[in-house]
Amino acid sequence: MVKYLSKEWAEQAKKKVLEDLDRTKDLKNMNASLLNVVQNVPPDQKTVYFYIRFVDGKLEELLASPDESIKEKNAEFTVTGDYTTFVQISSGQMSSAMALLKNRVKMSGNKMKAFTLTKPIDTFNMCIKKIETEY
Amino acid sequence: MELARALAENEVEPTEKLIDIVNSCNLCGICDRQCYFITQRRPTQAQQALTDYVKTLKPNTLKHVPEDEIVKDLHVIVGNDWATNDPIIIASYLRSIIKQKSLGKFYIVMPKSTEEIAAIVKLANKHKIPYLPRGNGTFFGVALQTLLAETCSIEQGIIIDLWRMKDIHIDAENFTATVGPGVTSFELQTAAHTHKLRANVAEAESHVCANAQNLGIVTTWSNTYGWGTDNFIDAEFIDSTGTIMHLSDKDIPNPYASEQGLLSLSLIPSVIVTQLTLKLHQILDDEEAVFIPFNNLSDALDMAHNLAKRNIGISLAVLSRKYLTEFISPTHEIAEGFNYIAEKYLKLNYIVDVICDKYHKKIIEELAEVTFGHSMIKSLILGSSKLASMKDSSLLKMIGEEENPLKAVFGGPMRKHFEKGLDASPHELVKVFDEDLRDFFEKLYSKPELTDPVWLHSFRILPCRMERKHMWMYRGGYMPGDKETILKVVDALEKPAEKYHIEGAFGFLSYLERGKLAHLEYDYYYDHTDPDARKRVNKAIVESWRRQFAIKGVTPLEFICSKGLHRKEHILYPVPQGLSEEELGHFEELIETLFGGEDTW
Repeated sequence: MVKYLSKEWAEQAKKKVLEDLDRTKDLKNMNASLLNVVQNVPPDQKTVYFYIRFVDGKLEELLASPDESIKEKNAEFTVTGDYTTFVQISSGQMSSAMALLKNRVKMSGNKMKAFTLTKPIDTFNMCIKKIETEY
Repeated sequence: MELARALAENEVEPTEKLIDIVNSCNLCGICDRQCYFITQRRPTQAQQALTDYVKTLKPNTLKHVPEDEIVKDLHVIVGNDWATNDPIIIASYLRSIIKQKSLGKFYIVMPKSTEEIAAIVKLANKHKIPYLPRGNGTFFGVALQTLLAETCSIEQGIIIDLWRMKDIHIDAENFTATVGPGVTSFELQTAAHTHKLRANVAEAESHVCANAQNLGIVTTWSNTYGWGTDNFIDAEFIDSTGTIMHLSDKDIPNPYASEQGLLSLSLIPSVIVTQLTLKLHQILDDEEAVFIPFNNLSDALDMAHNLAKRNIGISLAVLSRKYLTEFISPTHEIAEGFNYIAEKYLKLNYIVDVICDKYHKKIIEELAEVTFGHSMIKSLILGSSKLASMKDSSLLKMIGEEENPLKAVFGGPMRKHFEKGLDASPHELVKVFDEDLRDFFEKLYSKPELTDPVWLHSFRILPCRMERKHMWMYRGGYMPGDKETILKVVDALEKPAEKYHIEGAFGFLSYLERGKLAHLEYDYYYDHTDPDARKRVNKAIVESWRRQFAIKGVTPLEFICSKGLHRKEHILYPVPQGLSEEELGHFEELIETLFGGEDTW
């Protein structure tokens, strides 16, 4: 059991995705980078940044840290929301597209490109939900 | 009625609050009169059943519901009478804002002021639970029966019922009305009319603020009065942090900024509108209705678009036979009979429906081969039961054999025989009603408003009759006003209905911007209590989206939702190009991500 958004969780998540998901079939050879800004993370209600970058469907980076320097990676997409919403997304209770529709998260970036990524991102989230996580 | 159903189906256990609910009704029967007019239902029977049911309960069977911290905090904000976590009260909101069989923990709160709502939003944020404002629940009531349920509801949290906020202030000097979020379209229109002014509002029962925010106010008057921000001067709203703002504030982020496209879908409003200052319009002394009957949509669209481009008519729409007959008939059975006769004998399938002044009336009468007005529509309303009973009449058979039955009935020598044959009077009409309701409805139908098409277009008390028989799902949206595009969209909506055996029907079409744009309502009618019908309607919805998105210029209705506070210039321009095959493939993936596969709908 690893703590959600901890360094250990990020390492396990990256390993899981690289092992379980096919770059073409599951991740559609996507090229994209996404910064999740997770607000109000307990116990001290801080913000944690959760960054992922795919190159040709391969997960090159998966980082989770309260360090603001992650923002300098200039992700193509930024998704901002509350910790409770990201728990729902990462545990498979709600897709990220549904969270967007329900105004639970705000997204910046090219919406037309994001539209083409909904399926592989959903597959990614369904994969990392299998990690035994303490939320 | 929803509570009686939930108890009957063991979805909720009786609590002490049930006694309060039963005791709050003296079974006077006024609900029957209101409800029967629209739906033919008798809610007093449900209330009587509840009363009888309570008598069978032993006192110790009524559950006591303890208050938790959130309810206690809500009580501090709104007072003890206006917030609850009691499942019996919550049951009344099932299927109109809360999904049936939801397992989440819900709270109902009825604030009285903007400040109270702001405090409720802050409280929800503090407890990290979602909240959802509720106007009259008419939109949610439709969407919650479909695959859209998840996207327009919350899985737990606080329902903010805005019903108590009923302030209306008319500023006749400035031609404006300022309303709270509990004010209905009917209430606003009534207040406006006392100043000989008209508000551009949706169906009578809809809440003005919620409707403006959700759908931008869709009416037959839109070619003249507009859509979205065209309708109002200012709005007060509360954002997701609980901050109170006004559209007129200088220092807020651009409130009109909006996105188009598939990921702009949002059926949950991002802010709560707590006050709206709307434009009011002068009513001319010589306004009257002119109806131009057609046997096919193509000709009706030609005529309507011609009028729209020239800005002829204050209210202008193409109305289907289905709407005409359902709206003006006192019962669904009569509507079906009327519908049969209109199709088979009269060849009356579409009407270009205009409210205009005497000058425009002259122009229309020059342009149209045949028209009718107030007198004929009055005869059709009061004579609808007689007409519906004339399926085998020799007069109608004779009319049906005419080369142009529409001209024969509405413009030729047969007109006076036809009107006479309808034997139109309130006394005759109400014979189809339950006996105990006849006196009331005879008095009601004797009022001139009930047969005055200008009044009916302003107050919109009849459209709700469309759901007398079955639930319906609003299809359609916005598109360029040219006939070719509109016919393509109608086809894109008809085909899925045929494929999945759903009754589909053109509803109405109105224009914007002197006919440059059009709004189309097409409806799928289905029995929402039948799981198979629900599956079929969901499939038809998805396929209709796919087909509509492939047509250049079309924005399906759902993609306009929650954008009513925006300018149409940001929402409807530039017109979308239509999705490519590859993009439609991604659309399928988006649907699957959002709603799962077909088998889960």
